[in-house]
Amino acid sequence: MAPLDFSVLLRFQDALLTGLLTTLELTLICIVLGCAIGFFVGLARTSDNRILRGVSGFYVEFFRGTPVLIQLFWIFFCLPLLLGTELSNFTSAVIALTLYMGAITSETFRASLRSIGREQYDACVALGLPRWTQTTSVVLPQAVLRAIPTLLSNCISLFKESALVSAVGMTDLMFIGSNISNNTARPVEVLTAVALIYFVIAFPLTRAVTFIEQRILTKLAV
Amino acid sequence: MNYSFDFQSVTRNFGPLLDGLVVTLQLTAAANLIGLTLGFVVALMVMSRWGVVRWPATMFVEFFRCTPALVQIVWFFYCVPMLFNVFLGSVTMGIVALGLNLTAFNAEAYRASIQAVPREQLDAGIALGLNPLQRILYIVLPNAFRASVPVLLTNGIGIFQQSALVAIVAVQDLMYQGKTLATQTYRPIETFTIVALIYFAVSFPVGQLVGYLERRRATLAE
Repeated sequence: MAPLDFSVLLRFQDALLTGLLTTLELTLICIVLGCAIGFFVGLARTSDNRILRGVSGFYVEFFRGTPVLIQLFWIFFCLPLLLGTELSNFTSAVIALTLYMGAITSETFRASLRSIGREQYDACVALGLPRWTQTTSVVLPQAVLRAIPTLLSNCISLFKESALVSAVGMTDLMFIGSNISNNTARPVEVLTAVALIYFVIAFPLTRAVTFIEQRILTKLAV
Repeated sequence: MNYSFDFQSVTRNFGPLLDGLVVTLQLTAAANLIGLTLGFVVALMVMSRWGVVRWPATMFVEFFRCTPALVQIVWFFYCVPMLFNVFLGSVTMGIVALGLNLTAFNAEAYRASIQAVPREQLDAGIALGLNPLQRILYIVLPNAFRASVPVLLTNGIGIFQQSALVAIVAVQDLMYQGKTLATQTYRPIETFTIVALIYFAVSFPVGQLVGYLERRRATLAE
């Protein structure tokens, strides 16, 4: 085989950077929207209303039980037909990844809501706290703090899953990387570089998850 | 919305979808076989006393956990033949890529449960005069395996879903057959919905089983 020549990357650094920015932009938008959906769906899944519980449960199970790729394809190819309008690939990518993120974060919120001990609710009753104070001062702070490490892991998963949008022609890092690799016929150099870019961003975040779990949460004793 | 559904165009072509499902299941089973065995070995390596063993294993795990599965699969398909001059069938290549990905995730699951094996049990093993290999085989392995079953199952079903990614490199799995069928019949909604339902029908029961096992462990621990 031809000797490896990583200098080929220098010619394409601007293109790769643009791709990375698209990836990051998409990831951030979906994190914000997905977490918001996830929080409410998490509440809905623990609610007393059976219809609310059923609908939210179905949504979560369905999005966690099917590949993200098919969710993306479904929204990219089928939603425009059903709605009778055009959707840009950015919009459909945002919809698909947001719904996916909503499903996985709702499980995180649900688990952290459940992790609050029965005795704390009892203590609230014993102290005569009104329901609202109980939610805002006892349940919510602990639930959110405990959810942070897992939420961060969810964000890392989403960042990695965002590479799929290249399959519907969105010019993210993966799409630009495979394009360059096809055009220059240097897949080893280009694809390795793309993998390293993803790694350089995701790895520190995974370390941050461990750090938060070990230090901050034990210090706060939640 | 004025779209007339025609599910028959899909049900008439169920043969290719079933062929695809068989390939998907083969990929999943083989990748799980690799992940379950190699994952344990890698977990032991990550926890090794010697840096020479620990560092490569840790790098392997972190690298596979912190890059998108799609990048890994594309990398394998383009770069392995160029770098190592080996030409494997596309299904074999998919199995290797998915298997190594799963190995990294399972190694983490094993590591967590190995570290949870109580110190006293290992001391008891030493007191009984078991050699290190016996201690691993008879004390660590059964304990760790049982404790990590829910996570291993979750990872295993995760790889079933991730296996849809090999469709992008033209392995004829369920996703690929679905995509082809959607293009041939001009029926993306019906096709992708059915494909999604097939994936769901396999994942959902496993997810329920994981939930059941976790609840049972929780009640047994009390």
